[in-house]
Amino acid sequence: MDSLLIPRGVQRTTFGRFLLWLLPWSALLLVGLYAIYLCLIEGLYHTNMDNRFAFGIWIFLDLTVIALGAGAFFTGFLLYILRRTELKAVINSAVIIGLICYSGAVLVLMVDVGQPLRAWFTFWHPNTHSMLTEVTFCLTCYLIVLLIEYIPIVLKNRQLRQIPKFLVFEFQLHKLMPVFAGIGTLLSFFHQGSLGGLFGVLRGRPFAFREELGIWPSTFFLFVISAAAAGPSFIMLTTRLAEAVTRKRLVRDDVYRFLGRVSGIMLIAYVLLKTVDTLIWINSTSPGSGFPAFEFYATRSFGTWILFTEIVLFGLLPALVLLSDRMRRNRRVLFTAGALVCCGVLLNRFVMTIQTLALPTLPFDAFLTYLPSWEEVAAFLFVIAYGMILYSVTYRYATVFPQEKELSMARADAAEAPAPSFPRRPSFVTALIDRFASSKL
Amino acid sequence: MLPWVYEFHWTPFHIIFLSVFFTVFMVVAATLTTALRRTAKAHATGAAEAILWHSDFEDLAPAARSCRHQFTGDVAHRQCDHAFDCRTCPLHRTFPPLEGRGVSPLTLQEDVLGFAMPADRMYHRGHTWVAPDNEGNYLVGLDDFGKRIIGTADAKELPPVGSRVTVNGTGWKVRTHKAALRILSPVDGEVTAHGGAEDAWTLKVRPAENGNGTEHLLRGAEVRPWIMREMERLQVSFATAGVGATLADGGELVPDFHRHFPKADWDGVLGQMFLEA
Repeated sequence: MDSLLIPRGVQRTTFGRFLLWLLPWSALLLVGLYAIYLCLIEGLYHTNMDNRFAFGIWIFLDLTVIALGAGAFFTGFLLYILRRTELKAVINSAVIIGLICYSGAVLVLMVDVGQPLRAWFTFWHPNTHSMLTEVTFCLTCYLIVLLIEYIPIVLKNRQLRQIPKFLVFEFQLHKLMPVFAGIGTLLSFFHQGSLGGLFGVLRGRPFAFREELGIWPSTFFLFVISAAAAGPSFIMLTTRLAEAVTRKRLVRDDVYRFLGRVSGIMLIAYVLLKTVDTLIWINSTSPGSGFPAFEFYATRSFGTWILFTEIVLFGLLPALVLLSDRMRRNRRVLFTAGALVCCGVLLNRFVMTIQTLALPTLPFDAFLTYLPSWEEVAAFLFVIAYGMILYSVTYRYATVFPQEKELSMARADAAEAPAPSFPRRPSFVTALIDRFASSKL
Repeated sequence: MLPWVYEFHWTPFHIIFLSVFFTVFMVVAATLTTALRRTAKAHATGAAEAILWHSDFEDLAPAARSCRHQFTGDVAHRQCDHAFDCRTCPLHRTFPPLEGRGVSPLTLQEDVLGFAMPADRMYHRGHTWVAPDNEGNYLVGLDDFGKRIIGTADAKELPPVGSRVTVNGTGWKVRTHKAALRILSPVDGEVTAHGGAEDAWTLKVRPAENGNGTEHLLRGAEVRPWIMREMERLQVSFATAGVGATLADGGELVPDFHRHFPKADWDGVLGQMFLEA
């Protein structure tokens, strides 16, 4: 039915099965849309957040998806600025993932802040001393850049490229892509950093507060580096997931290994800096604020295990695995390490938002608990459903993985070739029979 | 945001922050405008055809991009990086012309794996041939391999008489077996006549004044190894098209072989063989 829209030489499922695949995601999308409607029209009382617990699941997951979406800027930086051409194989996927992550995060932020009709206030009357202003400006600009980077992927569709103007525009945009990659890197550096800096400047929250390096707290740099470490791993995992769903090879193994190596290098740098930062915080910053650091880990829910898990289990361990060439050659180990990296960034963002707000800071404060309402969960599931739909539709009608055709041909070529025949080593019994048969009776 | 807007402060931090924002915004806008301006310019100069081929060539599988010097054994392995336009390739110039080499008569035979490939013609990688006539024009047509894999076309569209064709630009347009194809032109020039009843695919082309000749076309000893590779490509493209293992090595293409594979992805197979993404 839609075969003329599908790229040439690649296999896609039937249109009916594709619609069936989209059905559950569309249902989830509608539920999420209803939750968003409730929160925007009737107000944030539909959530379980309050003035005291102002950062909930939305901010926690927003920070996570923005970190995971960093694969877009980092892959673009490596490909267009550092000329690592092997990343051509995943750049389109990285852009789509980035677009989904950032647009989803912006959407959820808009619901969280409320009053979308006044969203322009933050641009028109900016409070330039607020980290959030920097975040808002950078996120908006980067989202525009991602949309521009997404255009050539769409315009490469088989039917759209038949329109000469679209074809030429796609070509010209592609030639200018290094400029967008450079801007994307600059913007990402600042908004990833500012999101981290946001917690580092919370003087009233000694669990999160950090010393300044220049004008920024150390969390500014830790967020940038952790995002650069998690981004390539997330690209690796999403590509593998696409391979599993489509039951095809989409990317060559050397590309996976390269992504794993990049992730490992960034992660080991992050683990070292995070360790130094934690030691300074334990020995100087926290006692300086009047709180011995161990007090923050006295509650049963947030014991020192969380620190160990974050730095060692989800940090040092996958970093060492990803830095080993031998380990990276084992696909299962490679993807497990990539998953641990992503879990690490998820846990870090959880600690920075939820743990920071749950811990008491005044003598009369109690340990706060918070469970998201169904509307909060559904609003975020909206982003996941929207992401799945956008990715699936783009994958079906555009060339997301340029190596797909080549890999399917190589597979077919291997299937055509006769199986290699190796001379079989004779077993002891067959050797004995042969000897008996050849002997003169 | 702006000096006359409420909450604007003439403080260094405010000025620096907004300057950086406006600079980034202006760079994004200027880059996008540049892309649009270049698009309008390129579109006006008719660059779309060249861009389409450039884009198609980039998307070709590595097996389809082998350098012609691989066919004659000049290089062990090389992928073309000049979009099959040897006229601008510095490497191509370093090899002596084929005419000067001792070529075995066997390599010049006109029957190559069952395909009629006359030795007095030159061949384009997109399965077209070129033969100069006595008046200095080119006769251009679809080669036997191309005709056999297309079979009976449902519809075909020849470039109108008087129109210009360019090397690797659109020559013919064909609809066959649910596939819509464009077949690449092998030469630059103006179409002066269409072929007659004998060969409805043939065109007569007057060479362009600034045309760079036919150095990019395959000839002589290159044809046989090229066709052998094309057979391999056809075999592999069939296997990816859901047909499975086909065409035993060394065999010839049976006439009207489309009938044997009604469920094959003909669009994909023909797209690959005619170098179209």
